[in-house]
Amino acid sequence: MPAERAVIQKAMTRFTGVTGSDLDTLTVRVFTDFAMCFSDLVSTNRQLATLRTSHVGNVEGVERLASLSGGLISLTAHVGNWELAGRLLAGKSARPTHVVVSPDEARELQRWVRRDGEGVRFVSRSRPTVSLELFAALRRGEVVGVQGDRALGTRGDVEVPFFGRPARFPLGPFLLSSGAGVPLLPAFCILDAQYRYVVKIAEPFIAVRGEEEAAARTWVAALEAIVREYPTQWFNFFDIWEPFDQ
Amino acid sequence: MEIDKVLEELKVIMVERLKFEPSRLPDLSLATVLPKDIEGSLGLDSLDFIELSIGIEERFGFVIDEAQDLEAHFQSLGTLVEYIKSRLADR
Repeated sequence: MPAERAVIQKAMTRFTGVTGSDLDTLTVRVFTDFAMCFSDLVSTNRQLATLRTSHVGNVEGVERLASLSGGLISLTAHVGNWELAGRLLAGKSARPTHVVVSPDEARELQRWVRRDGEGVRFVSRSRPTVSLELFAALRRGEVVGVQGDRALGTRGDVEVPFFGRPARFPLGPFLLSSGAGVPLLPAFCILDAQYRYVVKIAEPFIAVRGEEEAAARTWVAALEAIVREYPTQWFNFFDIWEPFDQ
Repeated sequence: MEIDKVLEELKVIMVERLKFEPSRLPDLSLATVLPKDIEGSLGLDSLDFIELSIGIEERFGFVIDEAQDLEAHFQSLGTLVEYIKSRLADR
């Protein structure tokens, strides 16, 4: 996978500043961390919810989730075991959770990791009207889980500095937040040194009507902080700064 | 509310919220298809549908919270007018 290796090296250089053999070590670590997280995802998805929680050491900021009522957008990224985090958070909420996935992901991974149930429903964003379903779900007080680190390559992207260089991020979650008047809750699921997962829930915030780009910058700052702390657990195997040039 | 009145209100939403070119308004009819990727449609994308939802809620005064059939209601201006009329009648 030379192309993926090259973009990971570029990203690691920007995230950490390392070069030479240290850069090679970090690059390999990205792939091993990804393998660990993905295999855990496949195996835990086949387990009962009660067993699944045994893989999680701590949920930092869970009180932030408990303090929120009504509709909510759980905003995450391809960091650590984001899918496991989604199921865990859904299990802690009495509200149905609609997880937005790309059409390709839904088709190729459905059998292994996109299993509806336990309050989670996967929604492909292949149809433009999917935003209607999500908007209505938020109006009903339900949860929408969405990845905030994959640009669409459409007018639905916004450019935000990421590690000092402009990168594109999806604007949709912030338009949903401002339109439905519901908070965004950044959440990440990190593999720790003891190979247990730590869920980190950041401070919730609401996108203000007309100021969705500012909300996107708030999100990107949260993403940048977690990637800075865990650079080998951000699993973006393409160039975040030039995603559509490849 | 009459069909023509609902349609006119939707056209206002199209211009004010979706930045639709006013000169194209005479082309709109009940048969006009909305979602993109359908030949002859207005080409609305997911962001447009969020704006449209907000505009309808504000202008007609009801909350869009259905768990079923929303996609079908938003297929064309005709189906959308019927949906809005039925929601208004339920109040």
